[in-house]
Amino acid sequence: MDKLLILNASPRAPKSNSKRYAQLFANACPAESVCRNVNKNNHAELIGAMEECSDLLFVFPLYADGIPVTLLRLLKDMEETPPQKKPVVSVLINCGFLEPAQNDVAIDMVRLFCAQNGYDFGSVLKIGSGEAILDTPFAAFARAKIKKLALCIAKGKKRTLKVSMPLPKKLFLRASRSYWENYGRKNGVTKEEMSTMRIEGE
Amino acid sequence: MKLVLSDRALDLTPSDRFRFVDLSKLKINNCIGCFGCWTKTPGKCVIRDDATNVYPLIAASDEVIYVSRVKYGGYDVIMKTMLERAIPIQQAFIRLVHGETHHVQRAVAPKRALIVGYGDISKEERELFLRLIARNAHNMNFASHRVLFASEEEAEALVKKEVSAWTNS
Repeated sequence: MDKLLILNASPRAPKSNSKRYAQLFANACPAESVCRNVNKNNHAELIGAMEECSDLLFVFPLYADGIPVTLLRLLKDMEETPPQKKPVVSVLINCGFLEPAQNDVAIDMVRLFCAQNGYDFGSVLKIGSGEAILDTPFAAFARAKIKKLALCIAKGKKRTLKVSMPLPKKLFLRASRSYWENYGRKNGVTKEEMSTMRIEGE
Repeated sequence: MKLVLSDRALDLTPSDRFRFVDLSKLKINNCIGCFGCWTKTPGKCVIRDDATNVYPLIAASDEVIYVSRVKYGGYDVIMKTMLERAIPIQQAFIRLVHGETHHVQRAVAPKRALIVGYGDISKEERELFLRLIARNAHNMNFASHRVLFASEEEAEALVKKEVSAWTNS
């Protein structure tokens, strides 16, 4: 690997968990890397940056069971005006659910894009409980797998890795409830208000 | 309520038996992932555009037809943008569904869903799209679902046939 471009395709890129994952990856990566956020207006610039890189890592959250629109739009532009030199594409995806396998469809969307457009597909890290894991004692597990992903990509290995909180599901449900209740409390919103069944007040 | 949600114009005769939403005519911005609809104004998106009129219809409908071009084995941009903006109909909290963790639904009617995927769709794309809809079924409260594929030219006739089955029932 010569140089790696890390693209954060989270819809809330500047304040996202994906930003934290991308930073951890960059710190662990033995090769030169550059990290950029994806937005609607910088696709041409990012595709230009791909020309200078041997490898590309997409970092993004699972969104409505698939890739976020932020990434979908970029992939379509990469299809429309591809870089002349196509990097190897790897994926670091996280979802808030406990099961890393819930990310599989989104990963296969990127894999399919690569197959259709002549990109070599590299390695994957799929993270479950990704909304909260970095703020728990289990963060070390996530960091270790991110480091392993970085080494796999650096060595040109194609591996699929996964990590999640090692919790029984019922305990995870309790922990996630507590996490979201605290999130609401910081906004002055009670758990009862967060549990409303009303939609648009109706 | 019955709902046809489409990413393109369709020649459907208006009826009091179903609602038709042509998403291509609406102004719907990207979800910004702020979690406001879960933790600040629960059940309401903080972006006050046309999506706020659509997700209540999705929630209230017990029969839906979603019509979308297929791209990389998923919904293309128009439909995917709307579905991402529909998360106010869920809570932040997690429950178990078929042994998997998923979000709790607010007042979302269980649905009989038909997904019409159209375009020039390869075998691999079809298989992936079927897997996606099976995932959607867990997260979008589909009690049952079917997926039909059509070319761009055939999609409208296919939807009209399905809608006429509604209106004749």
